[in-house]
Amino acid sequence: MRTSSTRYVPAALVLLLFPALSAAQAIEPVVARDSVENTTLPADTIASGTVEPQEEPAAVIDAPGAVTVTDSPNDAGDQLTLTFEPSTETETLFCHTVYRRIAGEGDESWLPVSIIPAGDPSELVDGLDPDYPIVPGVQYEYRIAVQTLDGLEVMGPVTPAQAVAEGEYYHTGKTRALIASSIFIFMIFYYFSRAQRGVQFYLRPIAGIEAIDEAIGRATEMGKPILYVPGLSSISDVATIASLTVLSRVAKKIAQYQTRLIVPNRDPIVYTVADECVKQGYLEAGRPDAYDPESVFFLTDSQFAYVAGVNGIMMREKPATNFYLGMFWAESLLLAETGSLSGAIQIAGTDAVTQLPFFITTCDYTLIGEELYAASAYLGHEPKQIGAVKGQDACKAIIMGFITLALVLTVVDLAAGTHTLDWLRQLMTMSVMD
Amino acid sequence: MKRTVPLIIVMVGGILMMIQYFIPHQASQAVFDYYTEWAPIVGAFALVLGVGSLTRVHFHRIRRRSKNWPYSLAVLIPLYAMPILGLMVPVSLWGGMESPSIFHFLFMHIQVPIQSTMFSLLAFYIASAAFRAFRAKSALATVLLGSATIVMLAQVPIGEIFGPGLQDVGLWILRFPNLAAKRAIQFGVGFGILATSLKIIFGVERNWLGGAGE
Amino acid sequence: MSAVNFWGKMLNVDRRWIFLLIGVVSIVPFLIPVGMPLTTTTEVESIYDCIDSLGPENAIFLAFDFDPGTDAENMPMSVAVMRHAFFRHVPVFMTAYTPLGNGMMMSGFEYVTNQELPGCYTPVDYADWATYRDAGIVDRDGLVAAWEADGHSLPENSVGWVFEGRDYALLGYLPLFHLVILGMTSSIEAQYPEDSHGNPLVEMPMLREHKSLREVDLALTMAGSSACMSWIIYGREKIGLPIAFGVTAVMATDYFPFIQSHQIIGQMGGLRGAAEYEVLMERNGVSATTDKAFTGMDVQSAAHLLIILLIIMGNVAYFAGGFHKQHLMKSGR
Repeated sequence: MRTSSTRYVPAALVLLLFPALSAAQAIEPVVARDSVENTTLPADTIASGTVEPQEEPAAVIDAPGAVTVTDSPNDAGDQLTLTFEPSTETETLFCHTVYRRIAGEGDESWLPVSIIPAGDPSELVDGLDPDYPIVPGVQYEYRIAVQTLDGLEVMGPVTPAQAVAEGEYYHTGKTRALIASSIFIFMIFYYFSRAQRGVQFYLRPIAGIEAIDEAIGRATEMGKPILYVPGLSSISDVATIASLTVLSRVAKKIAQYQTRLIVPNRDPIVYTVADECVKQGYLEAGRPDAYDPESVFFLTDSQFAYVAGVNGIMMREKPATNFYLGMFWAESLLLAETGSLSGAIQIAGTDAVTQLPFFITTCDYTLIGEELYAASAYLGHEPKQIGAVKGQDACKAIIMGFITLALVLTVVDLAAGTHTLDWLRQLMTMSVMD
Repeated sequence: MKRTVPLIIVMVGGILMMIQYFIPHQASQAVFDYYTEWAPIVGAFALVLGVGSLTRVHFHRIRRRSKNWPYSLAVLIPLYAMPILGLMVPVSLWGGMESPSIFHFLFMHIQVPIQSTMFSLLAFYIASAAFRAFRAKSALATVLLGSATIVMLAQVPIGEIFGPGLQDVGLWILRFPNLAAKRAIQFGVGFGILATSLKIIFGVERNWLGGAGE
Repeated sequence: MSAVNFWGKMLNVDRRWIFLLIGVVSIVPFLIPVGMPLTTTTEVESIYDCIDSLGPENAIFLAFDFDPGTDAENMPMSVAVMRHAFFRHVPVFMTAYTPLGNGMMMSGFEYVTNQELPGCYTPVDYADWATYRDAGIVDRDGLVAAWEADGHSLPENSVGWVFEGRDYALLGYLPLFHLVILGMTSSIEAQYPEDSHGNPLVEMPMLREHKSLREVDLALTMAGSSACMSWIIYGREKIGLPIAFGVTAVMATDYFPFIQSHQIIGQMGGLRGAAEYEVLMERNGVSATTDKAFTGMDVQSAAHLLIILLIIMGNVAYFAGGFHKQHLMKSGR
């Protein structure tokens, strides 16, 4: 979908990316920070300073063997994978110490990047230690030392790293995530476009949304205000955004009826956005003069102080209608029960599953989970919004299909002794990333 | 421009971060770091807005001697006193945030008990709601009430008096039917978040700007 | 009709009688403690077993991601885990998700190190053992031996020393904590150059041995909100950091899917979860007695029984009074 704003996208992209790309290209090779000079540490504790490797005749223990260095996959060019042949002498072996330096520098530049105790696998991913970072594109050399139980250190040969650390442009481990998100995003946009082309989609009626008009009318008849609580979360929470969408439409209706509105906020950013939403609602209703700037206000960012404040407002102002739409936590029952005491009609909506039972028992209407997100589609009847709701349903249908398939495979595996579910699980599961 | 610039920022930023997630290269990481550095700065300004709003509203109430105006004093005085006590008053004058200090005393002996008390009100409200609203009006509601009773008894030691298997049944309800329902709802909420986020990124959802769509 | 009036009056009883009943059943068990036995669940046992398997060479994060509102549920479990870690000499990094959580962190630490309480631990500030650090004594056993050789002895109620920078570090609160967690996957010191007392982290032995979250063995988040999810997203899913939850009872039901999918190793749910952990500690000799959570289970038992009784009474009155046949006053319920 093209909007007038998309033509600015390329310019904005350059403008926003330029500083970041400049910073990326300007990354100077960072000289690995000398580790903290800790002269108080005994020599056999974890080496934390530039240590002068001591060489002794190799009569006591064999030095480690070949070192193989490869570039770690799927990283930002800040890791190298190292494997080596450990010393064959195991009885007197205490640990292996891995030394690294930038190729071409002197012996004083060796840094002890890792200590591998005897018996541990002879491999490591270098670059994870923040004291010894790896710089992309830099050629390093490695040297493995063996330390015996009586403190003798035998150095292995210097090995230039066979690979240079480079950042990859695509994380292969996230392919499953890419495929899944592509499918889901495609489904949503597919239904977007179908709705825009005029295809009618059925949305089942939701009592809570249909009751909004009735609730506003009730408050107008009684001459009492309407309390709108947009949740206790921040603007980054989708439930808050959904709530603010409903607020703007509610504000427009309220402006037409000239009913008083009270919108206490817990988050400063949500307060500013709510203020704009309400102001815009009054503007669209043609009643900008009726907008009261003190109707939308920031109360406090403390959860229970906010609840105490809202409860106080309910008991003093005695609103006829209470809206609780957004994200709520433990305070939900406190709000709804106090509102019930004041005799108001209450409409709640949240995706906080733990709070739904409290709202359902104490409120007249409750929007459960995604019904809150769909509220904007219901209220505005915009094709794109309705298309998005259908797109979500399609995504859920895909998941239901996989669950059904997994159920069938489980039964088959139980009956036939096969492992088809394991195969499916391996196909679908994404391992830990970094 | 007032609407276009925020829309562009959201669209470019959203698409960029979606793409960035799949690119591990150091340039991509630099972009991510660049954007995450902005987040605390925006948050800091938001705090200024919030405190400003609170101060303005309550200051007007005090000045106009509105109804219940003394409570506005109770809001403004601690709002400014606590940071002054914690950050500006020297430790020798019982300042600072660590014990012993006025800030620590007020926090431990006023804020903590007050917040704990507010949370404890839930116990009373739940009892009231339980008596008033938990009705077995249908078969499903009856199943719900029965499950709730079993889980409530399983959660407390006294429940074992009612039978050794009660706790096992209660745990089974939590570990299987509850888990399945919660997971299903989380799927739905997750897709809802995905769809709403896409709507915001691509400018379909514009109410967060402070107005209805065009 | 008098029967209907009776049931009607029962249904419309003033809420304040119900509040009074709850108040009474909440107070009486404190005065007449019973101490009913408590069986433990695998969700809590797995956390206990994990910490019990750790030692001085490991490290854990204990995140005080709760506010004073959920102090009654989250603090006992935080204190129990802290005590267990101190008993096992596992270094503990303590953080907070919110500014108020910072106060909770300090409060929890002060409770465990309160010298007037039996079973406490005696803290040694970072500056107080500087000379030992300068002399190169940074391993725990050597440090305790040297400290006691210099004439320091444990107070009467204390069961052990805890050295700041060796056994614990109070890192405190930083804004936008989910980004802090992300940053700590690379370097803890980059996020916290100093702890909440102003001590430089770079010199602390426990940080020299555990420089990032990759080198930490477990992160426990004691949360009264969805803050715990940040540890899953940025800790578990990014670097495979083992995570355990300590959440309020209301939230506990939400996170069973994460246990089943092994994204968290276990969960302490509400006061019961904390009580189970205290029972495990007492049973295995980590602590001499149980603490506040176990005491609170008597209150919880009484309160749950009362609520079940109220539900039954309400339904009996509803059906016996014939109110289920009446037209609903408000539609849509």
